[in-house]
Amino acid sequence: MAGPFGGGAKIMMMTLIREEQVRDSKPRSFVKRLAVGSIAVALLTLVSYHAHIDFPSVIPLYTLLVVLQSLTGDFKSSAVISVLSAGCMDFFFTEPLFSWRIAHPLNALALVAFIVTALVITSLVSQVRKEATSATLQKDRLDRLYRLSQQLLALDPEEARGEKFLEPFHRLFGVTAISLFEADTAELHTAGYSRFDLADKTRAAYLSGDDSGDASRDSGSRVFVRCLRVRGKVTGAIGFEGLEDAAETGGSLTALTTTFIERTNAFRKASVAAAAAQTAVYRSALLDALAHEFKTPLATILAAAGGLREAGPLASAQEEMADTVENEAARLGSLTSRLLRTARLDSEEIKPRMELIDLTSLIGQIASQHSARSPERPIVLTNPHEAVEVQADPALLRLTLNQLVENACKYSKPGSVVTIAIQRGADSVAMKVSNNGSSIPSDEKGRIFERFYRGAEAKRSTSGSGLGLFVARKIALAHGGNLDLETPDGESESITFCLKIPNLKDEAYHVLTAK
Amino acid sequence: MSSQPSSVLVVDDEPALRKALRTSLIASGFEVEEARDGEEALLTARRHAFDLVLLDINMPGINGIDACRRMRGISPRAGIVMVTVRDSEDDKVRALEAGADDYVTKPFKLRELTARLRAVLRRTRVAEAVQASVLQAGKLKIDLERRLLWRGDEEVHLSPTEFDLLAFMMKHMGAPLTHIKLLRTIWGPEYGGELEYLRSYVRMLRRKIEDDPAKPEFIQTEPWVGYRFRNPSDPDSPPAEDGD
Repeated sequence: MAGPFGGGAKIMMMTLIREEQVRDSKPRSFVKRLAVGSIAVALLTLVSYHAHIDFPSVIPLYTLLVVLQSLTGDFKSSAVISVLSAGCMDFFFTEPLFSWRIAHPLNALALVAFIVTALVITSLVSQVRKEATSATLQKDRLDRLYRLSQQLLALDPEEARGEKFLEPFHRLFGVTAISLFEADTAELHTAGYSRFDLADKTRAAYLSGDDSGDASRDSGSRVFVRCLRVRGKVTGAIGFEGLEDAAETGGSLTALTTTFIERTNAFRKASVAAAAAQTAVYRSALLDALAHEFKTPLATILAAAGGLREAGPLASAQEEMADTVENEAARLGSLTSRLLRTARLDSEEIKPRMELIDLTSLIGQIASQHSARSPERPIVLTNPHEAVEVQADPALLRLTLNQLVENACKYSKPGSVVTIAIQRGADSVAMKVSNNGSSIPSDEKGRIFERFYRGAEAKRSTSGSGLGLFVARKIALAHGGNLDLETPDGESESITFCLKIPNLKDEAYHVLTAK
Repeated sequence: MSSQPSSVLVVDDEPALRKALRTSLIASGFEVEEARDGEEALLTARRHAFDLVLLDINMPGINGIDACRRMRGISPRAGIVMVTVRDSEDDKVRALEAGADDYVTKPFKLRELTARLRAVLRRTRVAEAVQASVLQAGKLKIDLERRLLWRGDEEVHLSPTEFDLLAFMMKHMGAPLTHIKLLRTIWGPEYGGELEYLRSYVRMLRRKIEDDPAKPEFIQTEPWVGYRFRNPSDPDSPPAEDGD
């Protein structure tokens, strides 16, 4: 009798595990179990009564029945069956028969002992069963999480993006749909089919940064949304639709997703950085090679032109031409130097080597060089008489000022005046380079400091790399200053660039270099 | 100066430049030998001594810096001028530390080169001669034994460190002196990175000896390398660097 009952109990236990997960069906199963138990009690009573089994012998049989019932059912139904069994024993097996009264006190004691034992067994068994159920679920959940992380780890970090990344979630957790929003790339990916706008809800959760409200866990639509957080910062959001045990599993899945996305991003950043470093190395090597390739022939021309003059007395026209060759080759040399230097500064972080320099004399030198080169554009200095000392990198500052003065000459009509002014402020010094007779269209003003940007007019009329102002501003910023275009009110036919650098006292300068 | 022309060893891997330099330097009164690379230069220098070596820093085989160091071992008396390509101050400092007497940056004008060569030649000859105790540059006159300095007829008072610094620079008139060399020589071997010391002393010296400290006539700044004491009355004194 115990055999078929035990087998049935095992099957029932498995169904109960499933049934417990689905709470709606619980009351119905309680009634069913209660009915089955009651029928069993009735059968046992009928058989035992007709077989004339006496009261002491019938107690273990009822005990066995209660144990079986508690193995298969919950605590409540088992407790009811225990009381029912005690009633049957009282009515059918204790003297006087067919009465609730108990004649012998020992029989009453035996019945009470039966009820207590039955209840204790029932409660212990149901507790053990509950724990076993939850352990099974836990193990199953851990097992799936483990398999998920294995499958995610197996993905190539380069390709672990979008649907490919979501697919294992979909497969292992049986969700109907899963959405992932990554803030880094602003990409939204969805795997599976969603009936409840999962993608929109996921993105909305990221935007509001709030995943604790009702919207994030909608039991009707079975949507579960969580934000991905790294060190308190929201880096994206993930949403599941049809995830069972969302309360238990959702958190782990979110944590796992965050970790893997961080890993993928770290990998990507590392490869980009490595590629950039490699590019910088190649670029530097290329610039070195270019410097050598350009300057050696120039040195040859200069040596030959110089030698021509030394070799013999030249006619004055010949002498003049040798001079021209020499001067122009030297100029080409310094242009090459500057171009290569600008290209190098473009790709490198600029580290100025500060020295105390006198701006007035530096600007004086630059002005006289340019006057010699392009005498058709007179250069006027304002405030040229007093020394203005600042901490700056002389070579870099010279490069910047040369760029500004050259631009001022290049983009103005012959005969117009180029002005350089020094203005001393409380904690900074401004150098202003202006020209007359030219203007920058207002839609280009915001873009002239961009790398490789060349205005429409500049492209048509002059040569250039589009690097000059970009690098000039970079140098100004590296000095703790700035380079800006000063726009006068109205349509003015002049352009003024203002290069501002901090006028640091020696102490402040020490602090800056110590950093 | 002796009437014997000075001998120059031109070391460069570029044949066209070697040929142009040979012709031009011969026309300028030098005696010229050529070498294609560092190894050949060292072999040639072992065979006979040169007054000057013009050494390209950028060559296949052993590089110019190593060649310079080994050349110093072979001919300690030769004046070595390194040819650097990019405006790399690091190359210049390394060249000076390897024992070069001066440097020129490609491309250079012939006159600039011959002026450098003559200045180096004169410095190496002065170094060989008995060191005079009184040196003169323009209107500056320094008495190394009595530790006195005159600017024209006027005596200039210097602190001991200022005097040591100026005296050292004047003893190496015309030669580029790196920051580290000045610091280690004047302040001591444990110094080297304290550029601020050097800059403030140079600033004070300029205030005392220059007409216009903003446009120094004597103590020239070699950007990122160091300083060079220039003798204004020397026709071969190198012009102030055009950092363009």
